[in-house]
Amino acid sequence: MNTLKHHAIHFTLLVLTTLLLTMPPASQAANNNSATLSMKLALKQQQGEYHPPYVAAWIENSKKKSVRTFLLWREDAKWLKDIRRWWRNVGRKDAKLVDAITSATHAAGSFPLSFKLADDQQNALPTGNYTFYIEVVREKGGRALLKQKFELTNKTQQFTFKETAETGAITFTITP
Amino acid sequence: MNIQKTLLLCLTVAISSQVSAHSRWLLPSHYTLSSEAGEWVTLDATASNEVFNVDKALSIDPMTILTPSGKKTRPSSAYKAHRKSVADYFIKENGTYKITNNATANYFSRYKVGDTQKRARVNKEALKALVPSNASNLETTYGLTRIETYITMNNPTENYGADGKFLELVPNTHPSEIVESEAATFSFTYHGKPQAGVEVEIVRDGARYRNDPEVVKLLTNNKGEITFTPKKAGRYLLIAEYQQDAQNNTLADKEHGGVFLTFETQLQ
Repeated sequence: MNTLKHHAIHFTLLVLTTLLLTMPPASQAANNNSATLSMKLALKQQQGEYHPPYVAAWIENSKKKSVRTFLLWREDAKWLKDIRRWWRNVGRKDAKLVDAITSATHAAGSFPLSFKLADDQQNALPTGNYTFYIEVVREKGGRALLKQKFELTNKTQQFTFKETAETGAITFTITP
Repeated sequence: MNIQKTLLLCLTVAISSQVSAHSRWLLPSHYTLSSEAGEWVTLDATASNEVFNVDKALSIDPMTILTPSGKKTRPSSAYKAHRKSVADYFIKENGTYKITNNATANYFSRYKVGDTQKRARVNKEALKALVPSNASNLETTYGLTRIETYITMNNPTENYGADGKFLELVPNTHPSEIVESEAATFSFTYHGKPQAGVEVEIVRDGARYRNDPEVVKLLTNNKGEITFTPKKAGRYLLIAEYQQDAQNNTLADKEHGGVFLTFETQLQ
């Protein structure tokens, strides 16, 4: 009985948390910086046995410390370790973050995505040097680690990751 | 300069005579795990000179698993095959596990009868009683060899379990954060104090399939540290040896400490 009650409370909390996390960035705490990072994530079609890739995209600051994970597409926690760099530097050190940003995997395709350039706590990122990472890992397939340094300034910038065995050409835009 | 070189050569010769035994290791199926429910790991234990091809099964009777919460436990099942022993263990807690296969400190003696080199696992006193009257070059060493590895479930913890006896490896870089092309640092202590002059060798997996075994040889500095930058991701064996004259022990001539650590170097 008590357990049921607790579950109900937990569920309510979970719903509230989820709502808070999925609310559009504009409704988050006062923040005069509305910089965004947008991209079209291209996951390549593959031959033969195909398992949708696990994908993480995140930003590290100039000290190689992760400041924001934009997305985590995954299924079983057992395979999170295979998103090697993201797991080592980010995921394993913050179980709450992993829960908060997890979404399901997607089969090959092209995905337009846009993220507010803020840290994991939704605070605006200070100007400075960062590196944007995308890591794509496929069971019985390959791994791609894409990285691009950029300086966050008041200018719009565009970068393109070259095609890899796992990803198509991916262009991303930073809009201050 | 020449004197220094000669000294260094003498030191190397003295140490290599100690390293005549096979390398030994514990090779786990996984070094890095992610799970919400726990995962099985399996470990191979072998004595071999070919990293990481198994050769002679190593007894895993002394195997100890130090859990992240500090409890000492044993594998859940094990068997001994001809060329390796295998142990299974279910990793459930978050954090870093230290798995060791250390015997207790013991005496090891050598002597010659004519031109034949002989060995005995006894102390100096017992050796004198044991050898024939024409035996020569009697030497007894008292020491401890550690065979160890680390496995990390989810978040790493600094669960290094040092006990201050003989030679010990204390990671500065966490064993689960060793990455190709990035510098990693380990410290060595002898009887709990930083030890300079420990001879360290680091070998990458797959020596059978390359002409140059690519052994990295290092000596610890005054802080007892070595720093190395693994060029490639993969599994590695680290072998460390230190020897000195026996201290306050009339049953031995020399003291010796050894460490065999297996670890993985991750992709960037």
